[in-house]
Amino acid sequence: MESKVLKPILAVYVGLFILFLYGPFIVLGILSFQQGPEGGPQFPIISWSTYWYQHLFGLTPPSRIAPLPVGEALIRSLVLAFMTMVTATVLGVMAAQAFRKRFRGAGIVFYLIVLGMMVPGVLTGLGTSLLANNVVGIERHWWSTAFLAHVVYTFPFAFLVMLAILNRFDGSVEEASWSLGVSPITTFRKVTFPLIFPGVLSAMLFAFTLSFDEFPRTLFASGRDQTLPLAIYGTFSVEIHPNIFAFGVMTTLFSFALLSVYGILMALSVRRAKKMAMQEDIA
Amino acid sequence: MTQSEPIFRMEGVTHRYGDLTALDDIDFVAEDNSYIALLGPSGSGKTCLLRVIAGFEKPDKGRIWFQGRDITDLPAHERGIGFVFQNFALFPHLTIFENVAFGLRNGAVKVSETDIADRVTDAIDMVGLTGLEDRSPDQISGGQKQRVALARSLVLQPKLVLLDEPLGALDANLRERMQIELRAIRERLDVTFLHVTGSETEALAMGDKVAVLDQGQIVQYGTPDAIYDSPAISDVALFLNRFNLFNGELQGDTFVGPFGTVPVTAAQPNKSDVYAIRYDRTRIFSADAVDLPGPALPVRYLASEYLGSSIVFLFETKDRKTVEVDHHLSLGEPRDLTVGENYTLSWDPAQAIVFGKETAR
Repeated sequence: MESKVLKPILAVYVGLFILFLYGPFIVLGILSFQQGPEGGPQFPIISWSTYWYQHLFGLTPPSRIAPLPVGEALIRSLVLAFMTMVTATVLGVMAAQAFRKRFRGAGIVFYLIVLGMMVPGVLTGLGTSLLANNVVGIERHWWSTAFLAHVVYTFPFAFLVMLAILNRFDGSVEEASWSLGVSPITTFRKVTFPLIFPGVLSAMLFAFTLSFDEFPRTLFASGRDQTLPLAIYGTFSVEIHPNIFAFGVMTTLFSFALLSVYGILMALSVRRAKKMAMQEDIA
Repeated sequence: MTQSEPIFRMEGVTHRYGDLTALDDIDFVAEDNSYIALLGPSGSGKTCLLRVIAGFEKPDKGRIWFQGRDITDLPAHERGIGFVFQNFALFPHLTIFENVAFGLRNGAVKVSETDIADRVTDAIDMVGLTGLEDRSPDQISGGQKQRVALARSLVLQPKLVLLDEPLGALDANLRERMQIELRAIRERLDVTFLHVTGSETEALAMGDKVAVLDQGQIVQYGTPDAIYDSPAISDVALFLNRFNLFNGELQGDTFVGPFGTVPVTAAQPNKSDVYAIRYDRTRIFSADAVDLPGPALPVRYLASEYLGSSIVFLFETKDRKTVEVDHHLSLGEPRDLTVGENYTLSWDPAQAIVFGKETAR
């Protein structure tokens, strides 16, 4: 049988693939438990300790290694990612909604929107900063120019997610709502939105994570105050200590927490989606 | 049946999808408090007509009046016309109660909670779903969904409800029960139902009046008897699925068809010359019979189909056209036929309907 040969090969391949995927993170995780402050970011582990985690929160006695300058950068990145998430998702839902009616020029507008995620990030960042400095004449900030660059980047993702969701959406429930004397706005709030909510969640997740670790666009567009990825990069250029790894583990755990919330919300609304699908099957 | 003021009227309504004319200059009037069936084959524009009336689509030309008001430019949610979808289109995220309450709760007119509770309970009771209020739409059967969809519209006390093939998604058994129930529910309320269907039996059984739609035009509008007994054009006779139709030539007082030349007393104006005789008025004789009541059509017997109250016999003419004879069993036992044998079909020529291009008569 073909599968007798093929199956083990595929299994090994998948195993290697996953190892490759998580290898860097596993190494990082192990090294974050290096002894401190003498231990460096390399093997062997001198002895296991949580020193670098304590160091991160300023719980260790002062040493020659400065604490990571990430506190404010973390807040900035979280706020920026949140602002970007809300804006990109709202725009994405609205744009995808508009595309349900094949308006004139829809094809061109589609490509213009999607181009936002195709253009090299460095160019967008550089362009944004040049535009702000030389053409418009405003200062660059993480909450203004960088925010714009992030929205331009994440909006197409939110838009594509919503487009896929709305393509499968059966419009007759909306028409049913109108025929019951309910205005289109209320219909969107009470019918459409609850039913496309799983898609909205996905779009939000995309926008948040893309913005949270965005580097090339932010590099030029953010001005004086740095976001988290820039701040971390800044510390690399001096000297690397395992506290960065500890921080990496912390942010990853944060991401998992975020994903779990997403998963729970998704599971709740998938029940709805199933009901929806069953109704469509009858049609 | 009380026939009074027209509740609904449309004049010269035309609607196109690109090059396709779905509705072609339609005039239509619906009486208050009646059951109107709109019969049409697929692609006749019947769903388009409903969607234009509901306001989901705007006609290219023509005006629409409802309750004495021109509603042509009103959006769907301001028309006050109910709509029942073939796929029910219940709100999957709401309970049955909330589905029925939806229009009361979210409409332009504020309704108090106690009024909502009373009216929704009444509506659910009327369609016989008491006890299922807290279920969600995926926990009830197709027939129950249909009732929820109906209750959801009727709770708003509309004067006109559009039903788009409402029985199409139900199995045959349930369909007959829902036919009776739909009529019963309508009769209890002062409301006009406009029921779109592709099934001629459904249209004839349910409608106080039947409108036949073909290629975007209403080709006949009348009581079921009138349509059944005297289809206006040969296409209507074809949809009714109860007529043997023969192409031929109308020459003055005679019609020349596969059964020879027959005298004709009257002819309906039509696109082409067609001779129509109902299945149940076509009778079977042996091939060499002489005392025929009318024209003689030589045929070969193919098969029969037992339908409970009647038997349908299928024959084939020389030019391979299938001819049906419907023998009702209350008229006595049918004669024994041998498959492949030749027989002669005949009928009383007074019962035939002749359609002709010459409209001079």
